[in-house]
Amino acid sequence: MHMTMKTQKKLSYALLVLPALVVYLAVVAFPTIFSVILSLTNYNGGLIFGNPDIEVVGFTSYRWMFTEPTRSFYTSLRNNLLIVGVSVFGQIPLGFILAYILNQKLIKRGRGFFQSMIFLPYVISPIIIGVLFNAMIINPRSLYWEVARFFNPDIQFTLHSNPMLPVLFVILWMFTGFYMIIFLAHMQRIDPAILEAARIDGANEPRVLRHIVLPAMTSEIVTCAILAISGSLKTFDLIYAMTNGGPAGQTRVLSLFMYLSAFSGAPNYPLANAISTVMVIISIILIVVVRWAAKLFDRHGGYGK
Amino acid sequence: MKNVIKYGSTIIMYLIMVLFTVMTIYPIVWLFIQSFKTNQDYMTGSKLSLPTNWFTLNYDIVWNNLNFNTFFYNSVYYSIITVIVVVILANMAGYAFAKIDFPITKVLFGLFIVGILLTIQSILIPLFVMIFSAGLFNTRLGILIPYIALGLPMAIYLCTDFIRNGVPDELIEAARIDGAGYIKTFVSIVFPMCIPVSVTIAIISFIGTWNEFILMNILTAGDRFKSIPAAVGRFSGSLGSDYGRLFTSLSISIIPILLFYIIFRKQITKGVAAGAVKG
Repeated sequence: MHMTMKTQKKLSYALLVLPALVVYLAVVAFPTIFSVILSLTNYNGGLIFGNPDIEVVGFTSYRWMFTEPTRSFYTSLRNNLLIVGVSVFGQIPLGFILAYILNQKLIKRGRGFFQSMIFLPYVISPIIIGVLFNAMIINPRSLYWEVARFFNPDIQFTLHSNPMLPVLFVILWMFTGFYMIIFLAHMQRIDPAILEAARIDGANEPRVLRHIVLPAMTSEIVTCAILAISGSLKTFDLIYAMTNGGPAGQTRVLSLFMYLSAFSGAPNYPLANAISTVMVIISIILIVVVRWAAKLFDRHGGYGK
Repeated sequence: MKNVIKYGSTIIMYLIMVLFTVMTIYPIVWLFIQSFKTNQDYMTGSKLSLPTNWFTLNYDIVWNNLNFNTFFYNSVYYSIITVIVVVILANMAGYAFAKIDFPITKVLFGLFIVGILLTIQSILIPLFVMIFSAGLFNTRLGILIPYIALGLPMAIYLCTDFIRNGVPDELIEAARIDGAGYIKTFVSIVFPMCIPVSVTIAIISFIGTWNEFILMNILTAGDRFKSIPAAVGRFSGSLGSDYGRLFTSLSISIIPILLFYIIFRKQITKGVAAGAVKG
């Protein structure tokens, strides 16, 4: 029997899509929903189906998360926002400046070298970076403490008054090059003839920057801000290795708070699932914002895609 | 006067670039220097000084006795298999999404896109429970399946985008008129044309897999199946008791990705920029 065209088309489509779809549904989509459901129960490990002790407890875990006395949720959320802040006010402007210097050929030699070196931390495992900077600036036997003691011999091994500061510094160190690369890739798409014409008309560097480069880069700056938020939510390895959320949970972020609730000490799966559900909700809001921003810039004929 | 300003500003530009480069590179250089110290040397000496004598035995100990040869092998194993499978599956799905017209594509494609922004934490507990009950805890397969799944969203996005805009419909139509089925068209025309985007996907998913930590930490026990980041993760919180060995393990962990970066830095920067902005 001959296959009709339509059946052949359907079969081929299924054959091409199904392998990816099955793996993705099983590992990502289904567990995401599953985790939301579990957050409404008291499931805390062991058998899931046919376990008589599992009850639906509604929003109990959420209420606990928002009201418990250590206020870990708010500390973690605040730290996530601090990371967004260091990206938006640190990495993005610095990355932009570095990209601008490289792209406008304000220096003649070694551009490839500088670019490669500043981007380098991005490819190194955050776990390795975390352990390295723990040894460099956190640990009592660190380089930082040796230098600090040189200037002030009486300095105590007390935990810093601002424990997020070293973490934010390392995040700045890791990702400035990343934003530089993104900006650079898009600046290279600006027609050099336009820049040339502006210079011939006597526009100086600040004017070129303000009237040509910045307007052309608006949509990239928005993209980078969104990347900063999603990157902040994904931050885990670095802090896990560098401070493990300490001292006293002061450097936790939501992902670490969730992990520690589930996999360290006495497990509290309902709380962990509640935290991860909140993270999913933030991600979904982010997706909506991304789509809205994309539409906005498409309509205004934003530069690049 | 104008020349002086120009000259001065060029010097400032160089100073900025040199400053950032030194700040970026110094911690890594510092690490390599410390890796040649004995524990005694590090503890008693200045952290700014060079080793009193360059001690290389730690490299031998870390590589052979602390199982870093196994971790290295495992890292290579997971990364290569994940990259190959992700590239193939993403090309297949990307072709179907971009060129075979079905209404359901919109839904399925959207489903994958959502995965780009989701955080791994939101699947951790169910995935752990599932892998455990499937008997895949502490097996290579139990690591590879999640790795492949997590690589897919970005890969499928890039691939679909590339095929939609980069592979002309006429080419596919011509092959179809010649009697080639969808699958044959894919193998003989689409897949070869997708090599540029496949390289980008391979690089992004290689770096992601090579550096992955949290799943590895949760889904394996003991040293046998662990990768480099999971091994290094054990030093977190409280440092290992031997600083010399700690720094040597970190150096050994960085060297492979450093070599990879030196060889492919052009493709890596291009791929990362493409992946990040499109995502």
